[in-house]
Amino acid sequence: MIAAPGPGFALARDEDEGAVARTRIAVRGLAKRFNASGREFVAVDDVSFEVKQGEFVALLGPSGCGKSTILNMVAGLLPRSGGRILIDEDTVETGKVNPRVGYVFQRDTLFPWRTVEQNIGYGLEIAGLPRSERAGRVASAVEKAGLSGFAQSFPRMLSGGMRQRVALMRTLILEPEILLMDEPFGALDTHTKLEMHKTLLEIWERERQTVLFVTHDLGEALTLASRIILLSARPGRLREDFDVAIPRPRDPVAVRETAEFGRLYSHIWHSLGEEFRRTRAD
Amino acid sequence: MSNSRSAVLFWQVAILVVVLVVWQWGFEWSKALLPKAYVPKILDPYFVAKPSLIWQSFLRLGCFADSAGFAACINGNDNNLWLATLVTLKNTWWGFLFGSASGIAAGLVLGRSDFLARVFGPYVVALNSIPRIALVPLVILIFGLGDLSKIATAWLVVFFVVFFNTFEGTRAVDRDQIAAARLLGASEFTVLRTVVIPSALAWVFASLLPAVSFALIGVIVGEFIGAERGIGKLIIEAEAHANASEMMVAIFVMMFVGILLAIAVRSLQSYLLRWQPQFEPSA
Repeated sequence: MIAAPGPGFALARDEDEGAVARTRIAVRGLAKRFNASGREFVAVDDVSFEVKQGEFVALLGPSGCGKSTILNMVAGLLPRSGGRILIDEDTVETGKVNPRVGYVFQRDTLFPWRTVEQNIGYGLEIAGLPRSERAGRVASAVEKAGLSGFAQSFPRMLSGGMRQRVALMRTLILEPEILLMDEPFGALDTHTKLEMHKTLLEIWERERQTVLFVTHDLGEALTLASRIILLSARPGRLREDFDVAIPRPRDPVAVRETAEFGRLYSHIWHSLGEEFRRTRAD
Repeated sequence: MSNSRSAVLFWQVAILVVVLVVWQWGFEWSKALLPKAYVPKILDPYFVAKPSLIWQSFLRLGCFADSAGFAACINGNDNNLWLATLVTLKNTWWGFLFGSASGIAAGLVLGRSDFLARVFGPYVVALNSIPRIALVPLVILIFGLGDLSKIATAWLVVFFVVFFNTFEGTRAVDRDQIAAARLLGASEFTVLRTVVIPSALAWVFASLLPAVSFALIGVIVGEFIGAERGIGKLIIEAEAHANASEMMVAIFVMMFVGILLAIAVRSLQSYLLRWQPQFEPSA
């Protein structure tokens, strides 16, 4: 940006400096080896990438390429066999929870004995926030999730899409700056999935969390992400890195008709297809 | 066959009436109608009493038919039907409470710790192999003829049942739910309180219903072997007099006590597990 001289100049400079986003997640030479019935196999091999402040990065790859394994190591849920992971320049320790990081599971991990309201308010409740202070935040999260009539319902009364919205809100209510998502919409039907994309896009375009989103669905990655990291088939290695320059705000249906979506789709599809074929050849 | 509510009720009442009628008059009728060798001994009122005699015994034992009046009759007998019922009920309740509380606590601790589970595993299996009833004389030797030995007996039978179910329930907790709780900021203790315990509760309750019956069995057996008061004592005394109708009164009272305890556990269960489909209030 070329600013006009005058009082506004310094301000413009500050904004520019802010735009050189800092690195939130740094993965360096990450490796993961498993022992299965005496035989060692390599799930993730020498993966390095960075995610900057406010980026929405999709980790894309064929099934079994180790993308969820990478995410779980970033979350500290799984010990790594080699390499380093830094979040805000601090090394991730396995088993230690970082309050700035939120995690959304693919599987339904709602607490079935808690109502929608109690599930969403769980994090605030165990943090010791008094009921009176929780109520307002929980109510607005319930509304944001489009679940206004269901605050007192138990999870089993909800559809899969509604349950995943509760799970998303349960994480987002703690206002994590970094969001790790493990194929959160993988189990949903196409229509529900598009609705979830709309919800997530609205939230993210407003709040701009730093997101690392694991998926095997290319359409989903292009709809949501600002960058796509393509992994190879097992062992997971970094294959390519794409910028998704589709303007925002995005609509999950209209985005599919943009030229950029079509161009990237066929380009990445070609690379992804090769990896899928390699998976099948195994 | 109709399975509407009224049809079900009709058959329930019909079965009850048939049983009562056969019990009351079956022996006389069969003696009048059948050759002697074919008269069913099982219907002999000497062994099984009969409803009218049981009712009379109930009125007598319950102090409703005493010439001295209800209060004087109650005061005159320190193991009257009501006091005996109360004593048995109280001991059952405490045995059940201590047994299930300690069973739940032990189940949670061993269920959450692989190390402790491996250390104590063989001991638990060994102790559980002892038929509990064989220990009753020993318990009475240690704790005496009073209430304490009955509570201890009930504890013995309840503890292991509840312990095993709590242990299994704790093992079966969804690991991803625990991970989710941790990622939302839960400490080890908070995970136990807010995930493990509610999740294991369905397993715990599955054992509480049989456990309450076992507690009653434990107390009655304890009272058979040596007691000052209680329904079990009444039954043993009636046996000494070969009085079947008094025994039947005690048995029916026990049945009602058992039903009341089961209803109490059941309603607690359906409140605490109301998130599960089978306990849905509208169902």
